[in-house]
Amino acid sequence: MPSWIGQAAHRGILTSRYPRAPATEAEVPMTARAPGPPAAGPLPAAAISVCPVGAIGERAVDQGRCIRCARCLAHGLQPVGPVELTVARAEALVAPPGARDPPAPAPPLASLGRSIHVFLVDVGSCNACNLEVLGIANPLYDAARLGIFFTNSPRHADVLLVVGVPTEEMVEPLRRAYEAMPAPKSVIAIGACPISGGAFRGNPGLRPSLDGLVPVDRFVPGCPPAPIQILDALLTVSGRNRREG
Amino acid sequence: MDAWGAALTVAVATFFGAAAVAAIRPKLGYALSAAGAVLLLAVAVEALVGGPVRGAAWSGPLGDPESLVLDGLSGFFALAAAVVWIATAVYSLTYDARRSPLLAVCFSLTLGSIALLVASSSFLLFLIGWETMTVASYGMILQALGRRGRVFSAAFVFLVFGEASTLFVILAVAGLRVGNGTFAEVPFASAGDLSALVFVASLLGFALKMGVAPFHMSEWLPIAHSSAPSNASAVLSSTLTLAGAYGLFRVLSLLGPPPLWWGAVTLGIGAASVLLGALFAAVSEHTKGLPAYSTIENNGLILVALGVALLARAEGLTDLCVFALFAAFYQALAHAVAKTVLFLAAGWTEHVTGTFDLTSVGGRVKRGDRAAFAGTLAATLSLAAAPPLAGFVSEWMILESLFQSYQFVPAWVQFLGLVSGAAVALGAGLIVIAMVKFLGFTLLWNPSAAGAARRSPGLAVPIGAVGAVVLGLGIGAPWVLRFLTPSVAAFSGFPVTAPVGGLLSVPNGWSILSGSPFGILSPPMVPILLAIGAGVGAAYYLLGRRGAPAARVTPVWMAGSPPGRDGEVYTSFGYSTGLRIMMSTVLGTREIRSGAGPVSEAGLATPEPYSVDLEVLDIFKLFYDDLVRGGEALATALKARVMTGDLGRYLAYILVVVLATVIYVAAAFG
Amino acid sequence: MTRSAWREEPADRFALTPDRALAYVAPEGAFALYNDFAARDSVLATGLAPVPPAEVVAAWRDQGGERRPHRLVPPDTVEGYGTFTFPYGPISMGVPESGRFDVVTYGERVLELTPIGGYKARRTLPSLAGRPLADAALRIERLAGNVAAAHVAAFLAAAESAQGTGVPTRELWTRALAQELQRIYNHVHVLGRIAEAASQNVGSAETHALAEQILRLQGHVFGHRWLFGALLPGGPPRRLDLDGRRALAAALAPRSKEFEELWELFLDSRTFVDRIQGTCPVARELAVRWGAVGPTLRACGVPWDDRLRVPVVPYTDLFLALPHERDGDALARVLVRVQEVRSSFLLLEQLLDRWPADGGAPEEAAPPVAPGRGLGRVEAPSGDLVYDVRARDGRIEAVAARTPSDANWPLFSFGMRDAVFTDFHFAFESFGLVFAETDR
Repeated sequence: MPSWIGQAAHRGILTSRYPRAPATEAEVPMTARAPGPPAAGPLPAAAISVCPVGAIGERAVDQGRCIRCARCLAHGLQPVGPVELTVARAEALVAPPGARDPPAPAPPLASLGRSIHVFLVDVGSCNACNLEVLGIANPLYDAARLGIFFTNSPRHADVLLVVGVPTEEMVEPLRRAYEAMPAPKSVIAIGACPISGGAFRGNPGLRPSLDGLVPVDRFVPGCPPAPIQILDALLTVSGRNRREG
Repeated sequence: MDAWGAALTVAVATFFGAAAVAAIRPKLGYALSAAGAVLLLAVAVEALVGGPVRGAAWSGPLGDPESLVLDGLSGFFALAAAVVWIATAVYSLTYDARRSPLLAVCFSLTLGSIALLVASSSFLLFLIGWETMTVASYGMILQALGRRGRVFSAAFVFLVFGEASTLFVILAVAGLRVGNGTFAEVPFASAGDLSALVFVASLLGFALKMGVAPFHMSEWLPIAHSSAPSNASAVLSSTLTLAGAYGLFRVLSLLGPPPLWWGAVTLGIGAASVLLGALFAAVSEHTKGLPAYSTIENNGLILVALGVALLARAEGLTDLCVFALFAAFYQALAHAVAKTVLFLAAGWTEHVTGTFDLTSVGGRVKRGDRAAFAGTLAATLSLAAAPPLAGFVSEWMILESLFQSYQFVPAWVQFLGLVSGAAVALGAGLIVIAMVKFLGFTLLWNPSAAGAARRSPGLAVPIGAVGAVVLGLGIGAPWVLRFLTPSVAAFSGFPVTAPVGGLLSVPNGWSILSGSPFGILSPPMVPILLAIGAGVGAAYYLLGRRGAPAARVTPVWMAGSPPGRDGEVYTSFGYSTGLRIMMSTVLGTREIRSGAGPVSEAGLATPEPYSVDLEVLDIFKLFYDDLVRGGEALATALKARVMTGDLGRYLAYILVVVLATVIYVAAAFG
Repeated sequence: MTRSAWREEPADRFALTPDRALAYVAPEGAFALYNDFAARDSVLATGLAPVPPAEVVAAWRDQGGERRPHRLVPPDTVEGYGTFTFPYGPISMGVPESGRFDVVTYGERVLELTPIGGYKARRTLPSLAGRPLADAALRIERLAGNVAAAHVAAFLAAAESAQGTGVPTRELWTRALAQELQRIYNHVHVLGRIAEAASQNVGSAETHALAEQILRLQGHVFGHRWLFGALLPGGPPRRLDLDGRRALAAALAPRSKEFEELWELFLDSRTFVDRIQGTCPVARELAVRWGAVGPTLRACGVPWDDRLRVPVVPYTDLFLALPHERDGDALARVLVRVQEVRSSFLLLEQLLDRWPADGGAPEEAAPPVAPGRGLGRVEAPSGDLVYDVRARDGRIEAVAARTPSDANWPLFSFGMRDAVFTDFHFAFESFGLVFAETDR
């Protein structure tokens, strides 16, 4: 036991200061920022054709579809905008050219209060989003310091985190989980899959998004989003984010 | 013989009359039995309030005066039995519709014989009642529905242990007769070895009837009661064992100051019964087996209280002795009524679902019969010793008596009190598991599942009525205790005051005080405080809910799976498997696998069903099995060596016996 | 360094020679080997080990294995008084992925545990037909995110073999580098999950912190925390110039030291070791008969590792210890993983130290097993991973795969027999099973 303490003391504080201080460089991976055009105007045709998921249109980039493969970066686009990407409407993820500023931040769901309990539902993910979500509990992010806790049952949950592209098999279980949650409750779609189908868009037996399954309050794009971005989403839900003052 | 005396005589006679009538009109027989029980109840109350009631008197065949008498002691037992009988007889009017008249005959006969033995003033009449009771109960058990072979063997086991009990009782009575020169129930004139013999014989005889350790695992009680019809089971479990307790109390009340070891033995047997009975109840899977095992536990509790009383008397601790006796009487009363409900409820659930298997009953009883539901709830909670019910008061009193075992002088007695206290506490915990299981899997479990919706008021009302008695006995305990004062006085032989008083703002007489005083409990205050607490909670809830959205009911969360599919619900067996594995040393738990086994291990061409069963053995049953095997071996050997069938040899045996007798007589009287 | 990436091996019970492998993986159109019984039958026809007995598979097929959700292990029917089926899942926080476990029990003890998969089948492999190689690879990466490097490496090897494309040496080294990093991450993560289940709160916090550091390192070096796109041309930028390698080596050294300290403390904890010792044992004979792979197999005393047995560049040029244990229980699997973390750190050191100076001559791809059809086989963190790819003119025709989770589900199920409920998490995590790999 003393050796644990000694080691911990030696290592010092690892935990992020987010959201009291902006996320550090180490906490923000290269894929955290969505690709966008450097200036207003039509998007380069090469970038449009190279996108494997059709996220780049002639006039706008759909960040909800983007799987962060970075191909378009070789064709005139570059990572733009802030690290915090959480929005309240999926349409807000479609960034018009030249929009280097983030979409308007989502207002908090004040009814949830300051401490929230989170339940994770995987409706067809590759496991990366699951691990990023669980990652917010590790000492480097320490979600518990912000009053965010994981629960083992939707009965105790305020927030449902949905990861993965919805398969037919998971539609009913997802609905059951949502039904089992007490009101007030909210749903956060984590990653490109629940927003747009991600890399699996169009495969047979899959729903294109969470539309019509459960009402989604927040969208966090990314493939996968970084823990800091998931943390940001949870903070906007509970109204504890600096951005909302 | 005054009017009450006449009533007593009539009441006892009514039962026998009912038995005769039942042969032709079973329903009328039950109705008459109920009437007799009502009359008996009235007489018993008079015996406790107004002093002994003397009924018919006549001269017995051996020249002893015989009479029917209810004094404080027998009055108490008649009272407890009468309450049970009224409910059971009314219940039988509906329940017994499909069975033969023989059941009704044996039922009334059992009631009559128990009334007779309780009201008898001499041990001769007592023995007659005792033996009639055994035979009549045997007749009731034979009426069980089910495989004949199984029923016969269960009834036979009952008879064997019943007769073994009778043998010891006869021995005890013979001892009393030798000492007193009469069969009359008068204080024992002799002392020393003879009184020790009477004590041991009566303890053995009556303990056999009560089904306590080490005779509990003879399983006569569970097997016999499980096989018997439910109304018979209620009578057997609640009042037949009560008759055993009465016999023991009666004999001990006559024997005079007990030596220390009497109490110690009684306490030890009681504590062991509590533990084993509770353990076996918790792992039982039969809606009647479980209450039957619980009877063992409850009779054990009676013996524990009696043991403490005997020890206290031997040590001269009058207060403790009196308190423990009150505890014993209250335990007997609480158990008799609550256990009746459980057996009646088992009959009710069987009536509705067609099974006694707890796992199969689960979820199939609808809450249509509210009276039965409420009654069963009260009785199971009482047996689990939950406030404010009767079982809670008696269990508290027994534990309070055990806590005071520090007053005993010899260290080994103190130690015994300590160990017994631990056993009783553990048993109390285990019986909670058993009762939760019974209640949960008969009534509470999965009520949304489709089940039989048959209602049966004829069965439900008696269950509910006795349930109300259980509640009343819990709340009104201080007044009931005062009412029982003559019983305790009759047993202990010295003036007694009920251990009730007051404290703080609780009015005088509303509290039970243990020792002088050691601990305090106010049963009427418990429901009052509970009601206040519930009221505050309800008010808070209702006020807080104003303006809130309506409650939303959603299915149980089953990790995303649809809830309650067939074969995917917890079984009552699964509920207590943890206990089976934990207590495997005592229970002899073993896993029996049959069939080829899983494909991975068996290397099978195609998967085959294989089975895994967790079996609970009973080390005591193994002992009795060995005993039987030994007896058979001995008999075979005797048959081969001694009983050869040779006439000359037999004549030689007779000659030897005659010669030995002549020599003995000559030596004794010559 | 110009030898073939695929070489004929001496006959070995576990060797997957090209002709054998042809039968071993499913043909085009199959979602997964375990869903495709025609393929399974052809496997059986070759009489190869390790595969489940033919008759078992036949019976299994009748039990609706093709429907989803479907069982991932052979069927068994256990009965007994008081037994019931306890469905655990598909959504349970104990297992962060979606998948069900049907537990047959009489209470307390597990008589039979059946993993049920298919809840999150995304129909990825059939959707690859007709796509360009690079687009297909994007989706292969997202098949199972935490083992993306191994999947994409196996897929690319198979595709290159199918088309006879050569690969620059440095590209192969990069793949190895990515795989070893991800192996460390996965093993450390498993250790953290087991520590979590054992309520070793300090230990699990430290372990998860270490795992997060590895993820950050991966993100820093390869531009993506989960190495998506890292091994594809045109993916996120890599920083593997000399400075980048030096920086990586410098960053790895303290992680390796942290891991050593951490593991020593775990071994010191009697409660931790006691909890996993003897938990969910897999007998060597069963492991071999049912085709266990990876740490599960090595924990039973069978030293099979693709990195040594299927010699590809650069493993042929590096020193690699092959740890194995004998007991086959959760502790043995954990010990194998721990030693593999060490050996992976050593491998990373060697890789960075001896990094090819230039692109080098392209390595020949493995010979195709049939015209236009290639096999790729790598040792993923949880074991042998095989891809079977048909490709022509840079486009995919069909892809099939046999993942380590496919192979190890039955062993997990067998090992859980007679365990108690509370063993579940220790057992499950020790196998490193991923539903995403099975639900393709």
